[in-house]
Amino acid sequence: MKISYNWLKEYVNFYLLPQELSDKLTNTGLVVADIQSVEDDFCIDVEVTSNRPDCLGVIGIAREVAAVVGASVQYPKTNYTSTDIEVSKLISIAVEEPILCPHYTARIVRHITVKPSPEWMQKRLKCIGLRPVNNIVDITNYVMMETGQPLHAFDLDKLSDKKIIVRRAKSGEEIVAINGARRALFHDMLVIADGKRPVAIAGIMGGKDTEVSESTRHILLECAQFEPRQVRRTSKATGIASDSSYRFERGIDPEGVELASKRAVKLINDYAEGEVAHGVNDIRSGRYEKKRITLRIERLNKVLGLEIKRDVASDILKRLQFNILNEVDTFIDVEVPSYRGEVYREIDLIEEVARIYGYNNIPTKTSISVRGSVKSKYEIVEDSVRHFLTGIGFYEAKTFSIVDTSPLQSVNLWSDRAGVDIANPLRQEESRLRTCLLPSLIRTRIYNMHHGVEQARIFEIAKVYLAGEKLPEEKTCLSILADIDFLTLKGIVESLLASLGITSKCEWMAFDGSILFKADKSAKIQLGNNILGYIGEVKELEFKTSPCMVELDLDLLVKMSNFSKYFQMLSQYPPVLRDLAIIVDEEVTWASIEKCILAANISFMTAINFFDIYYGKQIPSGKKSIAFNLCFQAFDRTLKSEEVDVAQQMILDSLYKTLGAELRKQ
Amino acid sequence: MLEKLEEVKKNIQSEIKSVTALKDAEQLKVKYLGRKGIIQDFMKLIPSLPAEQRAAIGQRINSLKTEVTNIVDELLKKFSGEITSKATHEIFDVTLPGKRPLVGKKHLITQTIDDIKEVFARLGFDVVYGPEVESEYYNFEALNIPADHPSRTDFDTFYIKNDVILRSQTSTVQIRVMEKQKPPIRIIAPGRVYRPDTVDARHSFMFHQVEGLLVDEGVSFADLRGVLNQFIKTYFGRDVQMRFRPSFFPFTEPSAEVDISCSLCKGKGCSVCSYSGWVEILGAGMVDPNVFKAVHYDVEKYTGFAFGMGVERITMLKYGINDIRLFYENDIRFLSQF
Repeated sequence: MKISYNWLKEYVNFYLLPQELSDKLTNTGLVVADIQSVEDDFCIDVEVTSNRPDCLGVIGIAREVAAVVGASVQYPKTNYTSTDIEVSKLISIAVEEPILCPHYTARIVRHITVKPSPEWMQKRLKCIGLRPVNNIVDITNYVMMETGQPLHAFDLDKLSDKKIIVRRAKSGEEIVAINGARRALFHDMLVIADGKRPVAIAGIMGGKDTEVSESTRHILLECAQFEPRQVRRTSKATGIASDSSYRFERGIDPEGVELASKRAVKLINDYAEGEVAHGVNDIRSGRYEKKRITLRIERLNKVLGLEIKRDVASDILKRLQFNILNEVDTFIDVEVPSYRGEVYREIDLIEEVARIYGYNNIPTKTSISVRGSVKSKYEIVEDSVRHFLTGIGFYEAKTFSIVDTSPLQSVNLWSDRAGVDIANPLRQEESRLRTCLLPSLIRTRIYNMHHGVEQARIFEIAKVYLAGEKLPEEKTCLSILADIDFLTLKGIVESLLASLGITSKCEWMAFDGSILFKADKSAKIQLGNNILGYIGEVKELEFKTSPCMVELDLDLLVKMSNFSKYFQMLSQYPPVLRDLAIIVDEEVTWASIEKCILAANISFMTAINFFDIYYGKQIPSGKKSIAFNLCFQAFDRTLKSEEVDVAQQMILDSLYKTLGAELRKQ
Repeated sequence: MLEKLEEVKKNIQSEIKSVTALKDAEQLKVKYLGRKGIIQDFMKLIPSLPAEQRAAIGQRINSLKTEVTNIVDELLKKFSGEITSKATHEIFDVTLPGKRPLVGKKHLITQTIDDIKEVFARLGFDVVYGPEVESEYYNFEALNIPADHPSRTDFDTFYIKNDVILRSQTSTVQIRVMEKQKPPIRIIAPGRVYRPDTVDARHSFMFHQVEGLLVDEGVSFADLRGVLNQFIKTYFGRDVQMRFRPSFFPFTEPSAEVDISCSLCKGKGCSVCSYSGWVEILGAGMVDPNVFKAVHYDVEKYTGFAFGMGVERITMLKYGINDIRLFYENDIRFLSQF
């Protein structure tokens, strides 16, 4: 809220320059965002948090200043002279919804002169960014800015049947508001109506028909209290927000109606001439009861970590206009001012004391107990994965979880359930929670390509969202995309698994590629009974290179990871290496060859290393040559050449029997 | 035997003259030095010689081998092209650029989260995570933000359906943890949060927060100041000052916003700190009793504090980054800088 420095000075005596004042306000919770010099004044922009509607008026801020500097607040004058005619004779008021409108008052001023407001008032309004209109409108604005209590002036002659009814709107009713907006009204909206039609949306904005104009002679000044949630809902539903609705939504001072109403009438009496009708038409349901709270000094000190005495706390509360009902060494009973609705518990009083005592005067303790924290398995895996991948040249990307609904982004490798849509998206481009990370990585790769990056190796760890019962399932995935070939990426995945202590073997099965991968170069990866992920060459044609990518279920990696390690003996005896090349049918996979070699069950065979695949002149068509080497090593002896020969022959026999594999002649 | 060796020597001398290409040199090498070459054949004869001759002839064969090897090597060098011959004459330039291995980097946001985690891990905080798609209850009601409350204006939210939302703050994790666990609690919860903000240099509809929560008997506001001061000094530097300002969050009471002295202008005032000398880095406060009530904690017995910070914000501050969009473009030229 913008306030004028000179205006503020009217209610409280302080000797602070604008900047000093701003620092003080900031340190008590009213952050000053900006100070602008405006002619001989300063406009101070104060950020008022939503719990402090009392500070949405200059007087409220003056009260804060008074508490800080230890001064008192001078409230504005409300004296005026009235005529003999009773307000109640001129207007009848009925409040049909006392819960939504607990307090409604009307005062009337007749035979006014509508003209520009006095120069000092215009200057102040301009200083805080309000446009002067005429004396009546300016006065209602001025008093609202002064007290925080919204007011509205109707042209009395335009109110039908000399009636004000506070009621719900009827279906079919509509209103054109002062700002020109035409709105249909509904039963859940509260309106101010005359005998015939709604003349204002309660607490939000008056109607155009009944607004004060140059020709207005008599006015009805409304000063009322409306239920905050009702105002908020109607403001949202109609799309009309105003300085008035802003204040009602946050809750105004339930005892503030009278001051504001009288103050406005006084100013109208002073600056628009006119005759003030006697009294007020005042409909109020129930009385406001001041809240009483007990503050225990021990609790105060316990929560804040202070050791202050009762009198310090008591002094602060008095400065904040809390009424001390009773105080002893151990506690203080207070009565809360009506405008401090948010203070209703002991903890709220503790905050009040802390605020004025000064947050920065509270000690900075380091007395919390010692405690060792332990990394979860998830964290260990996440850290290891990042460590591993960055170590071999991969950059980590972070892309948006909310994506568009294009076919590419809609790809769902993990589930056949529908995607999770945002009900209130800002743009179509961000309207659905993603089910796959890879499209975002493809886009990141393209983005980099367009920015001159020829080769890229990227990965991301993030969630995909799969529709569920109430809340979606959130699966954490690891996706990798790089300008490397399939087998290199596969090798990276294999090494990654090994680095996480996952020793069980994955099955790599041919996959149709979906929309993402080239069908003849993609695979589904199975780990135990679970799908670990999908790998393949990117189908996207835009690339000059042929990048490959993979998406893995990180939650599964976490589950399967094993970081417990135990030392394994190293053999003291030399290994024997045998290079072999076999000729097999083209369809025979390496996986089946490997399985076959293992089936020979040679206890001292320690490794099988594939090194070449060859098609060519020397190989019959429909066949291929596969070369690999076998490593033999025992823990208890130097292997004899003959026993390795026997083992090798057993393996070759097994390959021949199972796969029809022939040893390739040199 | 010795004569035969002499003869070999002579033959070589004459064969050298006919070597005109690398190929010839290689053939010569195979012929004399190969596994089945002439010299090897002589070697094989040694065991059949009378014992007293073996040593002498062995020596002669070896010296012949050395001689032939030198000759062949010379020829190989001569014919194997300019590269070899040049390299031997050139001075090795140590100032040539090194061949660098590929090195990747963690995303800067991850680095910041890791830095934060590390500071708090040393203070005994465990890292926990919570769902991003949440029931409204965890994002609002349980955090003392009732429906139609004006403070909801401060928390614009993406909705999925009725009461399912994308969390707009990581404070949701507080409730999830406290529902399952009794005090003492000491956690931090990093993660993605979402707000329907139009993207510009300072706003993004998705960003990261780290939430912290400590609940125990006898925890005070002074402890909150102490813990955050430790964090600030460790993360931003020993000479950075901390300032607490009263503020309002529905889930803490008293609530504070925490500023640090602007490291760019050293508190003198510059555009980064809007000429105030201070920059806001996080929100904090003592857990509101209403939040404890929502998780059935004894509000008299336990007190606690919570804090939350925007990861992008503090990263931008620390590294002088002026546009939040850079974090999500993933331009490798950006990622490789940190």
